[in-house]
Amino acid sequence: MTLTATRASTSRTPERVSLRERHPARFFILALLLVLLLLIVAPLLVVAINAVKSPADYAANGPLALPHHLYWQGIVDFWNRANFGLKLWNSFITSIVVAVLGVILSVFNAYALGIGRVKGRLWFLVFFLIANLLPQEVLVYPLYYLSKQVGLYDSLWSVIIIFTVIQSAFGTYLLTSVYTEFPKELLEAAAIDGAGKWRSLWRVVVPVSRPTLAVLFTFFFIWTWNEFFLPLIFLISNDNQTVPVALGVLQGDRMMDATTTSASALIGIIPAMIFFLIFQRTLTRGIAAGAIK
Amino acid sequence: MTLSRRGLLTGALGLSAAALAACGKDDDSSSSSTEGADAKTLTLWHYEGPTSAMGIAWAKAIEIFKTKHPGVEVKFEEKSFEQIQQNAQMILNSDSAPDILEYNKGNATAGLLSKQGLLTDLSDEATKRGWDKKLSSSLQTTAKYDEDGIMGSGKFFGVPNYGEYVMVYYNKTMFDKYKIAVPTTLAEFTAAMDTFVQNKVVPLAVGGAEYPAQQIFYELALSKADRAFVDDYQLYKNKVDFNGPVISYGATTFAEWVSKGYIAKNSAGIKAEDMGVSWEQGKFPILISGSWWYGRFAKEVKNFEWGTFLFPGNTLHPGSSGNLWVVPEKSKAKALAYDFIDITMSAEVQNLLGNNGGVPVAADASAITDAKNKELIENFNKLVTGDGLAFYPDWPAPGYYDVMVAATQGLINGSKTPQAFQDEIAKPYNENLADLGK
Repeated sequence: MTLTATRASTSRTPERVSLRERHPARFFILALLLVLLLLIVAPLLVVAINAVKSPADYAANGPLALPHHLYWQGIVDFWNRANFGLKLWNSFITSIVVAVLGVILSVFNAYALGIGRVKGRLWFLVFFLIANLLPQEVLVYPLYYLSKQVGLYDSLWSVIIIFTVIQSAFGTYLLTSVYTEFPKELLEAAAIDGAGKWRSLWRVVVPVSRPTLAVLFTFFFIWTWNEFFLPLIFLISNDNQTVPVALGVLQGDRMMDATTTSASALIGIIPAMIFFLIFQRTLTRGIAAGAIK
Repeated sequence: MTLSRRGLLTGALGLSAAALAACGKDDDSSSSSTEGADAKTLTLWHYEGPTSAMGIAWAKAIEIFKTKHPGVEVKFEEKSFEQIQQNAQMILNSDSAPDILEYNKGNATAGLLSKQGLLTDLSDEATKRGWDKKLSSSLQTTAKYDEDGIMGSGKFFGVPNYGEYVMVYYNKTMFDKYKIAVPTTLAEFTAAMDTFVQNKVVPLAVGGAEYPAQQIFYELALSKADRAFVDDYQLYKNKVDFNGPVISYGATTFAEWVSKGYIAKNSAGIKAEDMGVSWEQGKFPILISGSWWYGRFAKEVKNFEWGTFLFPGNTLHPGSSGNLWVVPEKSKAKALAYDFIDITMSAEVQNLLGNNGGVPVAADASAITDAKNKELIENFNKLVTGDGLAFYPDWPAPGYYDVMVAATQGLINGSKTPQAFQDEIAKPYNENLADLGK
C-alpha cells in the first residue's frame, strides 16, 4: 500500500510535492501515525520481550521490563513439549488444502451464479451470506455427529472439509459480485472464437480474475491457519492438532506460564506473518485492481 | 471475535447438554474389575505441565505401571485444560475416548458426565483397593456424585491424587522490616496490616477480576461459620440465610478491609496472574491464595524470604481435593486404568508429589524432605484431619463464578454496599436451588 502511494506522489508535479512537504500538518499526522503504529505493535513487542525472558526474571521484574539476558530455553522447551514441528506441518497442510479447494469451489459457484446467471441466484447468494454469518458454535453438534458417522472425527480431513465449505461460502459471495460485473465483450469474443463454457471459464474468466483469486487464497490460508474453535473440537489426538490448538497446552486450570506462553505465541504467529509477508504484494495488487480491467 | 465466540459456546454447550444426556445414558454395561485386563494399550491423558508436582509424580507412576505391565503400551498425551474442559462430553461419547484421564471435579463437570453415564462407577474398586480409607471425608466430597450429578454423596466417579487449600503467603523480609510477627489471630492479622498501612504499604495483593477476591470474602465468612453452614451452602442441606451472621460478616469485613486500605481500590481490575507477579516482585507483603502458587513461588522468588501460614483464627478454609482421575465408560482397558490409579495412590508416588511442591492426599509427612514442602503438607493434613476444607464460594450454582467476581468487584471499588452484595449473590443461588427442586 505504502509503496504504491509514494510512487504515485513522486509522479505528481514538482510544486505540489514541495507544498506537501512543507505543510506542518504533515508532521503532526506523521507523529500521530507513529503513535498509532506503536500502539498496534506494542502487544507484539511485549510478547517478544517475554518470550526470551527467564521465569525468575519475569517474576522479579514483571512483564514490561527488558530481559536481563536472552533466554531461549522457553522456546526450546515448548517446541519439544508440544512436538511443534508436527503441529506446524498439520497446520500447513490443512491451510494449504483448504485454500486451494476453497478457491476452486468458489470459482465454480461464482461462475454459475455470477456469469451463468442461474435462476434464483439471489436466493443462493442470500443462503451463502447466511451460511457466512452463522456462528461456528451452532454448527458444532451437527458436525460432531456427522463426522462421527462417517468416521472422520479426530481426523484432519474433517477440518479440511468443514473449512473448505465455510471459506468458499465467503468466496462464493465475494466472487459472484465480482463476476456479475465481468465484461460481456470478453465472454462474447470467446464464444465467437468457439470456446465452450468450460473453456471460457479456464481460459478467460480465471486468468482475468487471478488477482482476486490470489487475495482469496491468501485470506483462506491465514484464516484457516488461525482457526481455533473447530480444530479444538475435532482434532482430539495430539498428533492431529494444529498450531493454535497446541498453544493451549500451556494454559492450566489456575496457573499460566507467562514466559513459555509468550514463547509459544511468538513461534505460533511467525509462520502466518511470513506467509503474509510473502503474499503481501499479491494482496495489495488484488485490492488495488479492485475487480477487472 | 474469539471472545464473543466463547460466550456463545457456553450457551451452545448448555443447550446441547440435554441432547447429549439422552445419548450418553447407557447403564447396561457390566463393569467388573477384570474388564479390559488383557488390553494391550492404555491411553492416558492429563493436563499438568511436565515440571509441575503432578507432572513429575505421574511420569513416575507411568514408569512404575510399565514395569508392572511389561506387555502394555502406555499412550500418554498432554492435553490442554481448555480442550478437556470444553470437549470432554463429546470426546468421551466417541471412539476417541482415552482409557483414563484427569478431569475437573465439580457438579458442572465430573458430576454432569457421571449423570450422563459417561464415567465408570469406581465404588467397588475404591473399597477393594482401599482408596476410600486413604481419602478423608472432605476429600471424598468431590469424588462422589449422586444420580443428579451433585457431589457429596453417591458413587465414586473419580479419585483425586492431590489437594489444594487457600493460605496466607507472606514476605518475611517485609515483615521483618516493620518488626511484625506472624499473626495467630484475626486481630493480630489486622493489626499487622494496620502497621503496613501506616507505613504507606498496601498489605494485600488482590486480583479482583478473577477468583482471589471471592476467596478472601469466603475466608472471612468462614471465620464465623461451622461445618453445618458449609454443608448448607455447598451441598444444599438446608437453606442459607444470605443476611445471616456468616455471610454478612464476610461482606462487611471485606468492605471494611477496603476502606481501611488493606485492599487497593484499583485491584478490582487485576487478574490473578498479575496479582501473583506483583507479590513476587515484592510490591505487596501478603497474598491470600491457593496452594497452586506454591511450587511456582518456590521456583521463582529469589529476591526475598517468604513463608506461609493458615488464615489466622479459622478452622475452615477454602480448599478441596484436586482434579480427578476418571475412567470413561467407553474405556477399553478399565482394569489397567484401576491399576494405574492404584499406583498414583501409592506412598512412593504420593511422596514424590509432596517433595515437588504439590499437596498429596495420602503422603507420609515424615517422608517429605524439604522443610518448606513439609510445612505445606502438614498444614494440609491438619486441615483435613480437622475436617476443615470448605470448598470454594463459586461452586454451588452454575455461572456463580462470574456473579461472585462482579459482586466482589463492587465491594472493592465501593460501588456496592455489603447489603447490595448479599442480595446480589443470594439471587442466583436461590434460583439454582429452585431449579434443583430443593
